[in-house]
Parts: sequence; C-alpha cells; structure tokens
Amino acid sequence: MTYKIAVASSDGVNIDLSFGAAGHFDIYSVDKTEYRLTEKRTAPTKEESKAENICGDEKRECNSSCSNNKSCGADGKSFPKVEMLSDCRCIICKKIGFNITKQLEKKAITSFDVDCTVEEALKKVTDYFNKIDNHISLRKSAE
Amino acid sequence: MAKLLDKQRYKCALGAMQTVQAITRAIPILHSGPGCAQKLSDGTGSSGYFSPNIFPCTSINEKDVVFGGVKKLHSTIENALKVIDADLYVVLTGCIPEIVGDDSEEVVSQFDKAEQLESFENEGGDPDKFVYKPVIYASTAGFKGNNYKGHEQIIDAIIGQYLKKSDKRQKGLVNIWADVPYQDLFWLGNIREIEKLLSEIGLTPNSIFGYNRGLDNIDKIAQAEFNLIVSPWVCLKNMKKMEKKLGIPYLHYPTLPIGAYETSKFLREIGKFAGIEQEKTEKVIKEHEDYYYYLIERYADLFLENRVINKEFSVVADAQYALGITKFLANDLGLIPAKQFITDDTPKEFRENIKDEFKKLNYNLQADVEFETDSYKIHNEIKAHDYHGYPLILGSYYEKELSEKLKGNYLNISWPVQDKVVFDDFYAGYTGGIRLIEDIYTVAVQRFN
Repeated sequence: MTYKIAVASSDGVNIDLSFGAAGHFDIYSVDKTEYRLTEKRTAPTKEESKAENICGDEKRECNSSCSNNKSCGADGKSFPKVEMLSDCRCIICKKIGFNITKQLEKKAITSFDVDCTVEEALKKVTDYFNKIDNHISLRKSAE
Repeated sequence: MAKLLDKQRYKCALGAMQTVQAITRAIPILHSGPGCAQKLSDGTGSSGYFSPNIFPCTSINEKDVVFGGVKKLHSTIENALKVIDADLYVVLTGCIPEIVGDDSEEVVSQFDKAEQLESFENEGGDPDKFVYKPVIYASTAGFKGNNYKGHEQIIDAIIGQYLKKSDKRQKGLVNIWADVPYQDLFWLGNIREIEKLLSEIGLTPNSIFGYNRGLDNIDKIAQAEFNLIVSPWVCLKNMKKMEKKLGIPYLHYPTLPIGAYETSKFLREIGKFAGIEQEKTEKVIKEHEDYYYYLIERYADLFLENRVINKEFSVVADAQYALGITKFLANDLGLIPAKQFITDDTPKEFRENIKDEFKKLNYNLQADVEFETDSYKIHNEIKAHDYHGYPLILGSYYEKELSEKLKGNYLNISWPVQDKVVFDDFYAGYTGGIRLIEDIYTVAVQRFN
C-alpha cells in the first residue's frame, strides 16, 4: 500500500515550520519503508482563505454542543490547508494547533509535531506505519 | 489456544504505584499512557495528599511511540520536582514506553544529587539552601507481571537506588514487610498490629507504609538488626537483596498470624531469632492468650449451639490470606478445610513450599490447595465439592454470587472488595483473629434474621 506524507520544511532538510506558517508542503510518497519526494504543494494564502470566509481567525457559526465555536471543524468545514492535504496519511511539522489536529483527526490523518530532521522523522514514521500495517511488534528488541 | 478474558484478581505491575502512595509524602511519576493511574486506583481509600488523579504522568501518545518519549519524561520529572512537594519521587514505567524502548533509567539518572545541585546553582540558587529530592526508578511494565511483582520492584528500587549500607546497627530494630498496600485491604491495620506485638516483646519495629511513616523510616532500614517478612513469597526476593547489599539478615515467617495459635507461635519464633528472653515473650503471650480465650469461652455457646456455622470452608485469595486464614480456621476454630485457592499467580519456584505450609495444620489436618487464577475453574470446583452443609467461602467479590447460589456464608476478604469498607481494621494477631470470628459469625447469624 502506498500513501503520502506531508512535511512542513523550508529547506527540505529540517522540519522547521509550524503548520500555520508553512507556505508549502513537501509531499512524500511512501511504499512500505521507501519514501521519495514527489510533489511540492503550495498552500492557499491567508487572503485567499479569508475570501472564502473559512479562516480560523474569525468566529464561525457552529451548532455543536461545545462552547469552543472556533473552528474545530465540528461544523463539517475545515481549513483550506487541511482540505488540500486530505489525501495524505500523515502531516509532520514543527508545531501544530489543537484545532487543526482535531480537524485532521476527523479525516483520519495523523499529525506529528517534532523537532528533528526530515530524514529522521520520515524514517521513524514510515517504520512505524509499516509495522502497524503488517502487524509487526513495535518492541525494540524485535528489530 | 486463545484464552478468554477473565475477572481479574490483581492488577498489572504499574498498580504498584499504590505501594508508593502508601509511603507518606512519596509520589509516583508515571511514564505511561493517560488513564493508567485512573484505572489502577482503587475506588476507596486512595485519596489524600496525593491521589492517583494528580500523579504526574507523561500521558504518552502516538507521537511518543514513534519518536520516543524520553524528552517528555525528562520534562515531567523536572516539573514534578518544581511543583510537587514530596520527599521521594518514584518513576514508574508502563508497558508502552518499555515496548518501544525508552531508556527511562538513563533519564532518571539525570536527576541524581550532583545533577540536581548543578541545575539548582545554574538557576542562581544558594548551594547552602539546596534540598536534594531523591528520584528513583522502577520498571513496572504490565507484561513483566502483576502488582505483587510490581510491589517487589518498588522495594527493590528503594534498596538498590536509595539505601546505602550502614555501619550503625540499632539493637532490636526490626524492619517489617507484610502486606501489599491497597491490594490487601487490611494492610494498614495488619502492619500496625504486628508492630504493636513486636514492641510488646521488646523490639523496635520499623515499617515504611502508612500514617506517620515515611522517608525517615526508609532511612532507618539500613540500621536494622534484621528484616521480618510475613508473607509466603511477596518481598522474599527483596530480603535476599538486602541481606547481600546491606548485610541485614532476615526472618521469613510465611504465615500471616491470625488468632492465638499462630500468633503465639509467631512471637516465639521471633523472640528466639532476636534472642529475647523466653520468659519475656511468654509473659506477653500469656497476657494475650488469657484475654483471647476469655472471649472464646464467653462465646462458646455461639460456637457450640449455633447450627448455622459451616463445617467446611474454602478461601479464594492471594497466598498471604489463603494460608493465614486456612491455618486460623483449622487451628483455632476447628473447621475442616475444603479446597483452598491461591489467586495471586504465585511464581512457580515458591509453590511447593507454600503447598507444604498447607499440610502443617493441627489435628493432623491437611488442606488441598490449588494455584488458579481462572474464576470459572475455581467456581466449578467449589460447586462440585460437598461441603456437608452450607459452604463457608472467604474470597473476593467474585465469589459473592456463587456463595449466594450455594446458600453459603460469604465474606469478602480479598481483592476486589466491594462488600466492605475497611479503614484500619485488621485480621493479624490475637485481636485480628477475634475480628475475623466476629465478621464470620456476623454473616452466619444473619441467616435467620
């Protein structure tokens, strides 16, 4: 099974951008534990998002029971940035907010906020997904 | 073949966080998933200065499984030291971090005295005002065993990482190791009663659990003349370690003394081991026995004329209670033991010795004992046995329904306990025996009310 991972990195080496600050995402295609960069996807700018009136800066109408009517995605709408990454299995960035995490979770997308190199992160994440997909123990000694 | 999930009679090794909780002003720091402490805490008797709901926890999630949770552990310990006023910090690992291979021991070693002093000075603190907060580490992954083993791991951590050999020996000072706190609902009362008895024969008892005990008592461990372990197997490993590391010999008394017969035997054996004048021990024994048998005599009518008490009994409990109660009911009350069930998953190497203990009953009685954790099998055996009347079942809450079906008399004495609230009641010693008789007969007399 192949899948995609989106990485927020300014130089392709270090994971140095937060989800919100990332102007583009590097999309890696993964097959088992092999990964390669296949695409650079540019994110919509703030202005473009504002035009659609679904930017997180403003309060949104939401009928969910929680008091946080601040774009957790409970109303079914999510940020354009989330929409544009909806074909990915996983997002790796330096920092990510709670609301975005929730929106991604609703789409069954895993997000990791880490402080390391792209290579290290991709190695660990692909290894992890490969193991859980194939029912291999995560136990260290099993390696 | 796959096994069915059964009613559990103990918890995972991380359940030993309650052993830490039983040490006043000691706090567990959990390196585990969120919710472990909540699930492992007992419903009653576990609130207080620290309670499981506020135990610092790394609450590890998917990210920590993939990238490792050591950073989070480091910051959790660091902040726990800042915001929680405790005497001893015990880091316990759950199963997830141990499976994925976090080196928790290494993280904990970064909080030794020298490192703590260094970071204190770096933050501009006055070295004279530095207070060392001991942080130790116990590996309590669930797959390593149950909370009886976890309890041993905690004691092991204290011995291995905190205690140092002492040149001083305090004459008559005895460390007492008995029940597993919280797993055994009578732990506090029992240990206090054993302490009391030891004081009466002239020894100075030292225990680390419960009210008015704590780090000071832990510090005293190394100065003791000997260790007294009152348990069939739990903590035996620790005694051997202390003998080796601290040079403290130990006396292993496998039976929890309940009632006059066993308690007198218990005191004689300790007196002999500690080199106490026989006269002194005998005087204490006589005093207690006189009162004990005065009570028994007064209630002889109850024992002799009451036809509702059972002839045969079964105990379904951990090795500690199965053995202690079986001996008491056979030796003191003259009841006949049916099959006894030990449900604490006793390690195989101790089983033969424990079985032998069940053969040492008075009146040439021998009790058949089985090591079994499967409630279904236990219940089938109880159902199949002819108790020559109503059975008397002393067990966990899971035996209640069964006892009702069999019209038996039932007492909830082992974990899980839903039927009883125990603050500091106890079954150990002379008084404890009387308490147990009271409890059993309270159930028995209710039959015709």
